[in-house]
Amino acid sequence: MKRRDFLVKSSLASSMVFVPSFMKAFENLDPALLGYKKLVVIQLSGGNDGLNTIIPYRNDLYYSNRPGISIPKNKLIDIDGELGLNENLAPLKSLYDKGYLSIINNVGYPNPSRSHFRSTDIWHTASSASTYLDSGWMGRYIDQYGKKPYSGIEVDDSLSLILKGNTINGVATKDAKKMFNNAKTPFFSKVLETQTEAHLSEHNLGYLYKTMVGAKSSAMYIYETSKTTTSTQSYPNNPFAKQLKTTAEFINSKLDTKVYYVSMGGFDTHANQANRHARLLKTYSEAMEVFVKDLEASDSFKDTLILTFSEFGRRVQQNAAGGTDHGAANNLFVIGKNLKKPGIYNDSPDLSNLDKNGDLHYTIDFRSVYATLLDQWLGASHSKVLGNSFNTLNFI
Amino acid sequence: MNQRELIHLHWRTGFGATPALIAASRKLSRENNINRLFDASKKIEPIQIDLSDFGDYFNTPYTKLKKNLGEQNSQKLRQKSQKKVRELNFSWLKKIANSDQVLREKMTLFWANIFVCRDNHILHTLKFNNILRTHALGNFGDFVKAISRSASMLKYLNNNRNFKKKPNENFARELMELFTLGIGNYSETDVKEAARAFTGWNFTPNGEFILRDARHDQNSKIFLGETGNFGGDDIINLIIKQKACAEFICTKIYRYFVNPSVDKEHIRELTDVFYKDYNIETLMRHLFMADWFYEEKNIGVKIKSPVELMVGIHKVVPSVFKKQRQVQYLQKMMGQTLLYPVNVAGWKGDRYWIDSNSLMFRLKLPSLILNNAKISLKPKGKFEDTFDEFYKEKKQRFSVDEKERTYFETHYSKVSFNKLKELLVVPRLDYDTSEMLEAYQPQNSFQYGVQLMSIPEYQLC
Repeated sequence: MKRRDFLVKSSLASSMVFVPSFMKAFENLDPALLGYKKLVVIQLSGGNDGLNTIIPYRNDLYYSNRPGISIPKNKLIDIDGELGLNENLAPLKSLYDKGYLSIINNVGYPNPSRSHFRSTDIWHTASSASTYLDSGWMGRYIDQYGKKPYSGIEVDDSLSLILKGNTINGVATKDAKKMFNNAKTPFFSKVLETQTEAHLSEHNLGYLYKTMVGAKSSAMYIYETSKTTTSTQSYPNNPFAKQLKTTAEFINSKLDTKVYYVSMGGFDTHANQANRHARLLKTYSEAMEVFVKDLEASDSFKDTLILTFSEFGRRVQQNAAGGTDHGAANNLFVIGKNLKKPGIYNDSPDLSNLDKNGDLHYTIDFRSVYATLLDQWLGASHSKVLGNSFNTLNFI
Repeated sequence: MNQRELIHLHWRTGFGATPALIAASRKLSRENNINRLFDASKKIEPIQIDLSDFGDYFNTPYTKLKKNLGEQNSQKLRQKSQKKVRELNFSWLKKIANSDQVLREKMTLFWANIFVCRDNHILHTLKFNNILRTHALGNFGDFVKAISRSASMLKYLNNNRNFKKKPNENFARELMELFTLGIGNYSETDVKEAARAFTGWNFTPNGEFILRDARHDQNSKIFLGETGNFGGDDIINLIIKQKACAEFICTKIYRYFVNPSVDKEHIRELTDVFYKDYNIETLMRHLFMADWFYEEKNIGVKIKSPVELMVGIHKVVPSVFKKQRQVQYLQKMMGQTLLYPVNVAGWKGDRYWIDSNSLMFRLKLPSLILNNAKISLKPKGKFEDTFDEFYKEKKQRFSVDEKERTYFETHYSKVSFNKLKELLVVPRLDYDTSEMLEAYQPQNSFQYGVQLMSIPEYQLC
């Protein structure tokens, strides 16, 4: 483009559009394709000790392996005569009683990695233990179904692999207003308004421009849509509860976001875990209780499903420091209104049959959980997102 | 060396090149320029922090301290120590920004993201940070041994709870997975055996290494195919004997200093050099001398880390590092707070710095620091600013004072607009953006500098 043409064009174009035409493709998607179901995925980062969360209190092996850190029978909440909730999960008990909670035991994958990072990557990308992928499963879902960066939001300062797609990345934000104010800087609008398609093939530079375009339109959309919805529930005062509050506000404002991701850290309890783990579970369950109430009050709960997972469980046997080392298979929670099989979904962990590291074997592949969510909740085709076919389960 | 090569070299070995540096280097050969870089970094100047006023805190086990001083007073000292770590964050950034040992500081930053560690004990943290600085250009084996003996690392990966009776695998696993070999080059059994070799490795309250014999497993171990009564150092020696270790580190070096996507041929070349004696300086000299390092495909392709971005701006207008709290806020917003890594794998870097939130913040950063968040946007020949409204609501957070402005004027205002562009923007400018910049070029070079630092191209080096 000659400079003179450019000046003419830009003066004509100014204030008309700020999104270049090649990005418009993203804007024209039939919303009917998408439905209105929402999925919230929560990660307990660090490796939650599942055995002290959902306690197999009838099993002597549980007590003999953990003389210093096991939860005594009188300090747990029985749920089915075999398993008990850690007493710090009391708020979850009320969800359980209403049939809003499904606990899936022994979820994992073959040849489990005991590294936080690798195992988190595996859970985020939905890969096997031997393949390495650069995109997350929720990211690939929005690649194919949401098609807009704001189709997936991580309520945090930066974006995790789980929401990075091959062509689109989700949006990370804890504060829609701040993001919006930044994006409306006139100089940036001008930079974007003058872009043609040419540079998009370039490596990192094209990536930066593309991210900038997506950031600007997403920031406007998220802020404009969500600014009038403020939660009236009183959440506990901690970062995790605050993230859930923001998530509820986004969902209740009818933002066209399909999937949300929130992570809560601190679960890597190698040493002196008793008090710390108790505090973590309390923080989690108290915030979750308010979150569900908040969604119910706006009638969004029936269309929202909440999955809570951790990258691995912890070793059955306690270590010398009053803690537990990295393990393998673990339990996870599904919270929602219309569960097919509320309560305990499958058999309790088998403590008498451990792998050679002394960890639990998995009986359900985590990708079957994802496949079920994709097919039966989000109305997607799981093999397109996960790259392979997996058996689906029967919890929704 | 030509200007473009020099800018490339100084971005990768440091945080950009000033016009004065370029003028002084142009006539020198590549080798001489590189010699100068290494000569400047010969000295090792540890960071020093005032740690008086802590009483017995650094000499007494915490449980004993509590007995002597009571719960509350001990708690106070502990909090004071934590606060000092935040101070160290600031001191470290200032050192990166202002030290003459530019390459050593750049390497220190690199190693801090290999030997990732986090601690809230100021003395231990300071010692750890200075170990990184001391060994940054030294021998890799000695480096790993020093790291493994440091109080901060022993704590961070729970080796202080690794006992003969109940080994704790955390350190042994990360040593191999993240510090030396990478996944796939050792087995689960190797992890267990290595953990046994590090049993009893511990530290005294003032951060000195101590081997607690009674807790150390003296028995025979089988590690990476060899059998012996190995201790921790033997394990490290056996790891380094693996060529996979040299390759692992060279790949990290390549991604950080050359190009985020690796060239297998170049990695092989570097690995062969490094494997000979694990001398880090020899490796780095080889790399900066290589013709391929200066190939166009390696220039301006790396996304700056937040620290590189901040320090780079600081080198142009020295104003970034004034208020401690502001600097910590900036680091947090961009996802890289020194001394507070997210996890033991460190920051993934390159594209992982970028998502919609962080990118918009990074683009806004130069104007936020230098120009009350304002980026000039007046079509040539127009005088009224149509965006006054927009900027009115902004609060003033940062400000550039006279002196800093003078620094910029002295160094940059004499160069032409075109030259300023070449100096500040490393990758080839996007055609449309280049046209747009020309159409909205401001009257003075300071405003033009802010514009240039606010385009996506400035995110790359």
